[in-house]
Amino acid sequence: MILEAVKYMILGMGVVYVFLIVMVYVLDWQHKLLLKFFPESFEDTPPPSPTSKRDKLKKVAAITAALHHMKKS
Amino acid sequence: MIGISFILFYLAIAKGFEPLLLIPIGFGGLLANIPLANIIGDGGFIGELFKAGIANELFPILIFMGVGAMTDFGPLLANPKTALLGAAAQFGIFGTLVGAVALSQWGIFDFSMQDAAAISIIGGADGPTTIFIASKLAPDLLGAMAVAAYSYMALVPVIQPPIMKALTTEEERKIKMTTKRKVSKLEKMMFPITVLVLTILILPESSPLIGALTFGNFVRESGVVERLSKTLQNELINIVTIFLGLSVGSKLAAEYFLVPETLGILILGLVAFSIGTAAGVIMGKIMNKLSSEPINPLIGAAGVSAVPMAARVANRVGMESDPTNVLLMHAMGPNVAGVIGSAVAAGVLLSIF
Repeated sequence: MILEAVKYMILGMGVVYVFLIVMVYVLDWQHKLLLKFFPESFEDTPPPSPTSKRDKLKKVAAITAALHHMKKS
Repeated sequence: MIGISFILFYLAIAKGFEPLLLIPIGFGGLLANIPLANIIGDGGFIGELFKAGIANELFPILIFMGVGAMTDFGPLLANPKTALLGAAAQFGIFGTLVGAVALSQWGIFDFSMQDAAAISIIGGADGPTTIFIASKLAPDLLGAMAVAAYSYMALVPVIQPPIMKALTTEEERKIKMTTKRKVSKLEKMMFPITVLVLTILILPESSPLIGALTFGNFVRESGVVERLSKTLQNELINIVTIFLGLSVGSKLAAEYFLVPETLGILILGLVAFSIGTAAGVIMGKIMNKLSSEPINPLIGAAGVSAVPMAARVANRVGMESDPTNVLLMHAMGPNVAGVIGSAVAAGVLLSIF
């Protein structure tokens, strides 16, 4: 009976491992597939602060340049 | 028996051990032992509840839907390899099966193969799965098994750390794991479907449990049925927990509980739990040696289900060695894989017996 239980143990652990190993591979494959066909779902919404800051600085620079130009003329 | 009910109340109220279940179970036990009232017999309200939900395994399935709706599988998706730790921890179940059969063979306890299989599932540290299996394979032992399973789940923070510390070195406990990749919403939505398809292909016997789990998770991740998801996570699981607790408590009648087998169940359950923890940690050590990325073996202990308690314990033990090392999210991967692993193990046991 003990031998039978050992047989069940090997069978059981085998099935659990096979199931989870197959799951690991399928999930990896699914990740690659989604990355290929739906890359946009992984992208973050771009953080708006750095570009808009630079834009603001550009505007400030343009206004100052314009003011200088006015004063000179 | 009424004394045992009061011990359960004490554990739940004063010690805070799984009060959500031990209170209904304890009170069910109290009601079951009232003479002449026939509360648990035919026509009695707990007797009817038992027939309606435990005898036909309905309640554990409903609980699994709630568990699915409450579980975020993101950490597992971010690092699928950690699922192997959840598989290793299931060794607690099958190792104990051999142990229980051996003890019966040597005449220490008197368990049939079915009983041994049912008892060993306690090592999966999963209450609903334990009740699911017990009501199928060993209905007479249900009360003692449920009490053992839920008590040990509550005792995770006491049972696991000594085993984890004994099997790891200080350096291993300090290992920091790399940050994980981003998981997309679509990926999370696909996950329940993928797991269900795998279950159908590999082990159809597990599909009631896994099917309910994946249904709950799909409701959660679909993101368009917030109302259903909330109901599964709160109202449904709470109502079923009350019914389940009372019905399980009804099995705490003296003629079922005050037998030598109960002691055997309590001891074997503890052994199952400890072996599961040890197997997870050892698997963690092996994976750390073989894998290119560092893996902290402590997260292996979270491979026994007991979500999220086991993951919190792994995190806490890691922090004792290095307070800046946050393992919680890394430990959630094996933890939720453990839920799937023990459902698969349950399916294997059901297909054998």
